[in-house]
Amino acid sequence: MPETTPSARALRLGVAGPVGTGKSSLIATVCRVLADELRLGVVTNDIYTDEDARFLRSVGVLPADRIVGVETGACPHTAIRDDVTANLIAVETLEAEQGPLDVVLVESGGDNLTATFSPALVDAQLFVLDVAGGGDVARKGGPGIARADLLVLNKTDLAPYVGVDVDRMLHDAGHARDGRPVLALSRDDQASVDALADWVRRTLAAHRTGDHVPVDPGPMAPHSHAHPH
Amino acid sequence: MADPHLVSLMLADARLPVGGHTQSAGLEPAVTAGLVADGDGVAAYVADRLATVVLVEAGTAVVARHVALGDGGAGGTPDELLDVEAHWAARTPSRALRTASRRVGRGWLRLAARVWPAVLDHLPPDAEVARPVVLGVVGAVTGLDAAQVARLAAYDDAQTVTAASLKLLPSDPVAATARLAAAGPHLEAVVAATAHLSDPAAIPAAGAPMTDVLAERHARATMRLFHA
Repeated sequence: MPETTPSARALRLGVAGPVGTGKSSLIATVCRVLADELRLGVVTNDIYTDEDARFLRSVGVLPADRIVGVETGACPHTAIRDDVTANLIAVETLEAEQGPLDVVLVESGGDNLTATFSPALVDAQLFVLDVAGGGDVARKGGPGIARADLLVLNKTDLAPYVGVDVDRMLHDAGHARDGRPVLALSRDDQASVDALADWVRRTLAAHRTGDHVPVDPGPMAPHSHAHPH
Repeated sequence: MADPHLVSLMLADARLPVGGHTQSAGLEPAVTAGLVADGDGVAAYVADRLATVVLVEAGTAVVARHVALGDGGAGGTPDELLDVEAHWAARTPSRALRTASRRVGRGWLRLAARVWPAVLDHLPPDAEVARPVVLGVVGAVTGLDAAQVARLAAYDDAQTVTAASLKLLPSDPVAATARLAAAGPHLEAVVAATAHLSDPAAIPAAGAPMTDVLAERHARATMRLFHA
C-alpha cells in the first residue's frame, strides 16, 4: 500500500519572519488575491494576543471560521519547530471542519531571525523581512533568509523614506540564498503581488503532483554547496 | 515493551511533544486576576489544585486505566472509555476547561497512537477525549499501575503550573523547583485518595469554582500567553 502522499491534502504554507515585517498583511494580501480561486485557511500563532487572527478576520478576506489562532505559551519557536502538536491539530481541525482546502497558511509568531518551521508542520515556507528593518538584514543571513522556499523583502514602497537601496538588498539576499528565489513586495505594487500569487500557485501545483519536497531551512547554517568546488 | 517505570518517566517529561508548553493549568488567568502574585502564591495555588480539580483528573485517569484493562476478559471498548469521559465532563463545569483538556488529550492520543498503538483498542483515533482519560488508557496498555497513573496526573498538573510560573512570575527557577518538591506530600495525598478507584461514579467531584470562572474569562481574553 502506498504511503499517504502530501498532495492528498492542502498545501501547508508557513509564513515566518521577525515581528512587524508584515506577515499578517502579506497573508491578507494572498487571501484577497486568491480567495476566489483557491479554498484558503489560516492558522495564526500570536505571541501575546489574538491580534493577528482578529486583524485577518476584520479585513474580511476570508470567512471568520477559516481563521484560527493558536496560543504558544510564549514559545513561538517551539510551536513551529520542536513541538508542533498544537499547530498540527489546529491545521487538521481546520481542514476537517472547513475542508477540503487548497492552501492552509500558518503564520508564525514574530520571532527572531533563527525561527523557521519544521517540515513536519509545513510543506513550504516563506520568510519575510521588510526594508524598514534595515538594508543590512538580508546580508546577515540565517536559516530562514538563506533557505526558506521564498524570501520576501516587504514594504518596498517605504525604501525611499528609510534610506534603503532595494536593489542592493535584493543583491545581498540573492547572494545569501545561493540563487533561491527572492521577491521584493509592496502591497501597493500590483506586479509584485501578482508575482507572490504566482509563486503560491506554482508551489501548490508542485505539491499536488508530488514534485515539491519539504525542506528544513535548519536551525543554523550548515556549510553546503549546490555546486562542486 | 518498555519497562513501566521508563514509560512513566517519558510521560512526565516536559519535552514530550504533546503541546505542554501551551498550558498553564489556569495559572495565567489567576495571575491576571491578581490572585497569585509570587512564589508563595504559586505554591498555594498548586496545593489548592491538588486538593480539588486534580482529584477529578487523577481519579478519572485511574478509572480509565481500570476500565481499559477490563475485568479479566477483553479490555474496555471506546464506548466504555467515553462513558468514563462523560463522568469527568460532569465534574468539569467550565466548557473552556473541557475544551482545553480535550485539545490536550488529542495531542496525547496523537502521540500514543504512534508510540503505543494498543491505545486505539480503547479510544477512537484522532478523538478529542479529555487528557486524563487518554493518560489512563496509556497507563493500561504500557503496564503502569494505578498509583503511577495517579501520580503522573498530579505531577503533570503541579509541574505545568511551576513551569508556567517561570514565564508569568519569573523567579529563581531553583526556588520554583524546591517548591515543587515541597508539594510532594500533597501529590501523595492525591495518589492515596484515588489509586483504589474503579467505578466511574466514584470519581471525586471536588470543585474549585474560581478556577472555572477564571478559565471562562481566559478563553475570551484578547491578551494571553497560554491556551488555558
